[in-house]
Amino acid sequence: MGWKKLLIELGLTDAERRRIDDAQLDINSAGFDDWGLDPETLKAALAVTRWIYTDYFRVRASGLSGIPEGRVLLIANHGGQIPLDGMLIGMSLLLEARPARVVRGMIERWVPGLPFVSSLFSKMGQIVGDVRNCRELLEKEQCVLVFPEGVRGSGKTIFQRYQLQRFGTGFIRLAMETGTPIIPVAVVGCEEAYPSVTSLKPIAKLFGAPYLPVTPFFPFLGPVGALPLPTQVTIDFGAPITFQGDPDAPESEIEEKASRVRDAIQAMIDESVKRRGGRLFGGGSR
Amino acid sequence: MPARETVLITGAAGGLAGIAVSNLAESYDLVGVDPRPLPKGKDFPGEFHVVDYQHRRMGEVFRSHKVDVLLHVGRIPVGARLRSSDRYNTNVLGTRNLLQLARRHGVSRIVVLSTFHVYGAHPHNPGHLLEDDPLRASQTFPELRDSIEMDNLVRMFLLQNPSIHVQVLRPVHVIGATIQNYISQLLRNEFCPVLAGYDPLLQFIHESDLARAIRLSIESRKSGVYNVAGEGVISYKKAVEASGARAVPLPSLLVYGALGTLSRFRLGFPKHLVDFFRYSAVVSDEAFRREHGYQPAVSTIEALRSLRSLRAVVEPPHTAT
Repeated sequence: MGWKKLLIELGLTDAERRRIDDAQLDINSAGFDDWGLDPETLKAALAVTRWIYTDYFRVRASGLSGIPEGRVLLIANHGGQIPLDGMLIGMSLLLEARPARVVRGMIERWVPGLPFVSSLFSKMGQIVGDVRNCRELLEKEQCVLVFPEGVRGSGKTIFQRYQLQRFGTGFIRLAMETGTPIIPVAVVGCEEAYPSVTSLKPIAKLFGAPYLPVTPFFPFLGPVGALPLPTQVTIDFGAPITFQGDPDAPESEIEEKASRVRDAIQAMIDESVKRRGGRLFGGGSR
Repeated sequence: MPARETVLITGAAGGLAGIAVSNLAESYDLVGVDPRPLPKGKDFPGEFHVVDYQHRRMGEVFRSHKVDVLLHVGRIPVGARLRSSDRYNTNVLGTRNLLQLARRHGVSRIVVLSTFHVYGAHPHNPGHLLEDDPLRASQTFPELRDSIEMDNLVRMFLLQNPSIHVQVLRPVHVIGATIQNYISQLLRNEFCPVLAGYDPLLQFIHESDLARAIRLSIESRKSGVYNVAGEGVISYKKAVEASGARAVPLPSLLVYGALGTLSRFRLGFPKHLVDFFRYSAVVSDEAFRREHGYQPAVSTIEALRSLRSLRAVVEPPHTAT
């Protein structure tokens, strides 16, 4: 396909292209990996969206060099209504990690039924978030991103910003079972990009969505109001945490481990918010 | 030197059997059965009987030959121009009769060719389907019931008869230069419809790789259910392009509607196959590879290219790799 090549040439530097080509991927003769990742589609998508990372949100990422090779679980806070945080984390590992890593996001179960979105996500290496897929990816040494808060995190209002919601515990059991190091990730800036004041639950239910945010601009300003604000986003990757022990331990023991990860992320978030102070839109273009 | 073993092969007038047989004739004595007569100009390298699998005369075939291996590749696929009750009788009652006869006449190995269609293309499918995953194709397409029932029947037989080696193979889409199934014929067209907005993952196995897989199954003394796939996954649109066709995007509502109308006249393309152009159903054949030392020899791209060649491009090797 000619247009994909063109986009990649225009949007990515030689070095960036080479780094993604060097990412350890197991691609077959048809150009796909076992989960349907198509590196050409991924590169083309990155080429047309990299301005969102560098110019719109002016992302500052730190701690990327501490991410170990091989299987790894990125555990991040979730906020800001739309999964911008997931997208920006993925882009940071493609653009700034050495070597580049393809982040496997665990997407919602209803996504594969959607036209257009489903095939695009699959080609970008995103997979339905069930335990089995996640375990298999880790066993194949992939980098998996999990938001243990789920929609509890992304759907919360601006008044609860940066207050971590209850963590699911499945990720701890999986990490213990597969011997996977956990990297706590703190994303700051996405919550203000989409300052939801309330959620229209009944209308959301009509569409089968978990929530429908109301911001000062949406839905009142229509589609334009749906655009996220250009806040500055920082992403901090913490030191790896490894858990030993029985993955089938009672829930109380697992919860205790989950809250250790949660506390680590909360501390990183607090630190990052403090550093930022009131400069929500600070940090010039890079 | 041990005596040559006898393989009884069902569906012997069909293309799949022809492919399997080409790889077996050298080392085994073959007996072919099929409710259909051999097509004109086609030879079977062994004795051939026209017989319904559920008919009493099937017993006579077992009595007159010392059958060592039953190779049941004679499942009638959905979409064949046949009443569904006839298809049910052949696939379910016929299979049951074959299994009972095999047990009574001391057959030592049974290999049954099922299909991965039994899993169904479903948005909730896991990234890689394993053999113990639910067979939910009939949830959406009741016409697949007989294929699923046949698969279940053999698995039950497997559990109840530990002294017989029984294997159920569930191959992915089989393609090649000689095979005449729906998917191969579709991809040989100049234009192929794709459902607008959908580009799921598909898996293909080249006919020569399937022939080798069948041979490996017959030679191994194992029992189990196995997915059998080719090299790897490919998106449907890329598959269409690789086969040399041109993709024509159509709205899915239109496609399903038109096929619904056509199917009333037993025309068109089976709907359950169209579903594989909307949702992915990707199987893992790791178990088969590990336990049988199977490794596909033909890449997905080569297999798709071979669809338009007049003869099989790749000569299947006779030994396991």
